[in-house]
Amino acid sequence: MSDHRDDRPEEPRDPVDDVSAADRGASDDDPIDDDAAQGAGGVSRRDFLKGLGVGGGVVGAGLLAARAAAAAAPPAPRRLGPGPVSISLLVNGRSRSLSIEPRVTLLDALRDRLELTGAKEVCDRGSCGACSVLVDGRPVYACMMLALDARGRAITTIEGIGTPGKPHPIQTAFVEKDALQCGYCTPGFVVAARALLESRPNPTLDEVREGLAGHVCRCGTYTRVCAAVLAAAGRKGGAS
Amino acid sequence: MSETRRIRIGENGRLEEVEVVVPDGEPAIWDADTRLSVVGTAVSRLDGLAKASGRARYTSDVRLPGMLHGRILRSPHPHARIAAIDATAAERLKGVRAVLTFERPDVFAAIAETDEAGRAIEGDARGPAAGNRSLLYAGDEVAAVAAVSADVAEDALRLIKVRYDILPHVTDLESARRAGAPPVFPDGNVRPAAVRKRGDIDAGFAQATVVVEGTWRTPVALHNALESHGAVAAWQDGGLTVWAATQGVFGCRDDLAKFFGIEAAKVRVVCEHVGGGFGAKFGAGIAAVVAAMLARKAGAPVRLMLDRAEENLATGNRPSTVQTLRVGAAADGTLTAIHLKSYGTGGIAGGAGCGGPAWNIYACPNVLIEEQDVHTNAGPAAPFRAPGYPQGSFALESALDDLAGRLGLDPLALRRRNYIDKPAKALETQYALASRAIGWDRRPQLGTAGGQDGRLRRGLGLGTAMWPVYGGPPADARVSIHSDGTVECACGTQDIGTGTRTAMAVITAEVLGVAPAAVRVSLGDTAIGLYSPASGGSVTLNSILPAVRAAAEGAKTKFLAAVAPALGAAPGDLDLAGGEVRTRDGARRMPFVQAAARLRTTVATAQASRVPNYPGRSTELFGAQFAEVIVDTWTGRVRVVRIAAAHECGRVVDRLTAESQVCGGVVMGLSTALLEERVIDHDTGLVLNANLEDYKLAGTLEMPEIVPILTEVYDPANNVGVKGLGEPPIVPTAAAIANAVSHAIGRRVRELPITPARVLDLLARPVEV
Repeated sequence: MSDHRDDRPEEPRDPVDDVSAADRGASDDDPIDDDAAQGAGGVSRRDFLKGLGVGGGVVGAGLLAARAAAAAAPPAPRRLGPGPVSISLLVNGRSRSLSIEPRVTLLDALRDRLELTGAKEVCDRGSCGACSVLVDGRPVYACMMLALDARGRAITTIEGIGTPGKPHPIQTAFVEKDALQCGYCTPGFVVAARALLESRPNPTLDEVREGLAGHVCRCGTYTRVCAAVLAAAGRKGGAS
Repeated sequence: MSETRRIRIGENGRLEEVEVVVPDGEPAIWDADTRLSVVGTAVSRLDGLAKASGRARYTSDVRLPGMLHGRILRSPHPHARIAAIDATAAERLKGVRAVLTFERPDVFAAIAETDEAGRAIEGDARGPAAGNRSLLYAGDEVAAVAAVSADVAEDALRLIKVRYDILPHVTDLESARRAGAPPVFPDGNVRPAAVRKRGDIDAGFAQATVVVEGTWRTPVALHNALESHGAVAAWQDGGLTVWAATQGVFGCRDDLAKFFGIEAAKVRVVCEHVGGGFGAKFGAGIAAVVAAMLARKAGAPVRLMLDRAEENLATGNRPSTVQTLRVGAAADGTLTAIHLKSYGTGGIAGGAGCGGPAWNIYACPNVLIEEQDVHTNAGPAAPFRAPGYPQGSFALESALDDLAGRLGLDPLALRRRNYIDKPAKALETQYALASRAIGWDRRPQLGTAGGQDGRLRRGLGLGTAMWPVYGGPPADARVSIHSDGTVECACGTQDIGTGTRTAMAVITAEVLGVAPAAVRVSLGDTAIGLYSPASGGSVTLNSILPAVRAAAEGAKTKFLAAVAPALGAAPGDLDLAGGEVRTRDGARRMPFVQAAARLRTTVATAQASRVPNYPGRSTELFGAQFAEVIVDTWTGRVRVVRIAAAHECGRVVDRLTAESQVCGGVVMGLSTALLEERVIDHDTGLVLNANLEDYKLAGTLEMPEIVPILTEVYDPANNVGVKGLGEPPIVPTAAAIANAVSHAIGRRVRELPITPARVLDLLARPVEV
């Protein structure tokens, strides 16, 4: 036996993520290379950076959409700010007018100006997913997007996905599977799950884990969140 | 007045009859023979849809007319004195409504007495009577601003000019212990050791056939509840109303009343939902106090939510530990002596003790525990889910695996020989169920010792959970049945995500024979006027549910008396079940709602108080966890494949939320084991990872399969028989994972978190286990 790292038998897949591989032996590729984890329908980091996959993680999807939005915005006719400017945002199908300083994030605009407090501010720098909203159907970290850049885009917040009286099936599944405890991360997870299931209606457990990897839950509901998303997709849950 | 009752106690079919003495009027005790219809089933959270739809209102979501936004200016230096503050530019900024500076030592003096973290603002009070205030860590409070928006408040903070006299600092634990280290407090950095002992360890070690010894280290960890500490404060209606992100509305209220010198009755604290606490949100804390100070000065409501950096610098942490542990055992594995000597730092607060597991989990006649706090110029510690236990468990269970190896015993057999002898514990059952779920019998064939020598190695490990529960009186609850059939249950407690709200409904529903979803629960408001302890230490349900049940029984008695004539029966012949009032023979029935309409007053209501725990009954919680890991010996990466976690909470109230507690504790323990570590640059004294990018928390990709196993134990110390569950599931997780990694790689893990770098370092050493 040897612990020497040059002692490298052959094996094609990410061995640490492949439970059975551990019993078979070892692998030749780098187990932490995300591209290696593509396998059964997963989305690689490379694909995701090409902007092709929601499943690749909302972490970057938010950043990506924010950058895309910045790139797609028409050339500014004049310099805006630092004082307030009047804009309108299309939120949950309604046009909402508001006056904001250009530095205001989409998250602050939603929470402080439009009183849509379902999206939560937790890290305020694109690390946790609690502020996720859909912009043109794609999940975005609202703390990483300026409200100005959301002009002309269709914004869907958690409030637009379902209500306690008329919940979305994902929300129902979250309650049935007890996929929430304190609930502070839950709106972000529901928004991301909705986007995930739009793009992949029948995901595998691994795809759900990948798709929700950009979200933090401190109460530790992850296995139940994954089970709820699979249940909402009409699949048998694999997680506890 | 009291009476003696005979009840049956035990677990897993092993039952015995005992006598308990209870106060007169105590409801029939739910013991091992009691069959219940709602309690113990899987009941969905009452507030589940409100949370999943974003409608649940947290403190951070409260918006009041004219509300201002507060921000706190914090020290950029780990140790300094405020020589001068000039806030005039900030005061003049458009949109600024109030500025407070904290340069005087007396400003926060009152907080120091009330802060549960043992906040060392008291250090100023102990210090020389200088005309300026010492800042004891990078992040200490300097000034605060309220403005029309958080952005303007932030602008104003930048306009406050502060001249600091920079003082020598120490943030490194080892440096802080040395003679001549910069003193955090005038009387030094090293506190006297807390010592507890039983028996005689010298005699115990003399009896031992084998003695193992080692040193284990755990880092400072950060709570990172997702909702930060914060409050919305409004001086209104002749008093102060504060919405607070808190684990204890009453403690918060009392702190505020004391700080502002007003009657408790004039302070109302509201917390309908809170985005996690984990021990760091007791009392009012700085955020609520400063919000109220700003609101008073500005004459308008103020919202002050801390940001993530503040949250990680100033609101609490789990202290580090360095634990030197010696354990001796006879040849058959029977423990003869345990000696734990530990020190650690909770920054400017104490709380680094970690001897609970060594003292409580295993039976050993000779135990000596010496625990020592060391102060450093870092943010104050606060209780963190099972304070001291995950750290102490890591060292203890590691040492026991070493002992098992030396004696040639199976690690599980060693635990079975030594677990502490308490009545009605479920440990035998828990070891059996969880070891089967993990496939423990494969262990001899796994790991380096089992002959695995390839790149990937699999290991199994275990740890035992124990938590002494402190719940009991006082707690009050009220249950009301209205003439329209509505059922209400009220208690001024708080639901920190554990499912308190739902558990209150389950007990009420059980007694009144209605559906849990039909019960309207009021909590999270001191104005309810029904006391509850703060939610920490696994005390909430075992404190309040017995009062809820007694209140529900009282309301039921009144209700049946009122509706008995309509059924032509004596009240004693009636019962409530299945949404009906029924005679006991089932001959006459009436729907609950129809019966409620017969109430002569509009409401049948009863209030009850928690009575003391019945003497002689167990209030300790036990559990066992088994972990399976795969270690990549090329990269050092650890993957946890599966964790089987067997726990008990006395009687299960709601199976769904109870299992969630178990899974959640395991996840937090896994995160502790593999990822979490606060990093300070000791030269500058600054925290480098006060955010969620660099302070790593486990996510979906780290998730193992989790097998929660609930073993019911009937040993009621209260009329429900519930004990608690918040802390135990985090206690042994890191230990079980560390033992599994050690088993996999053949080297003893001695430091958390088990990062790839640490695994590779271990692999560079000779095989030892």
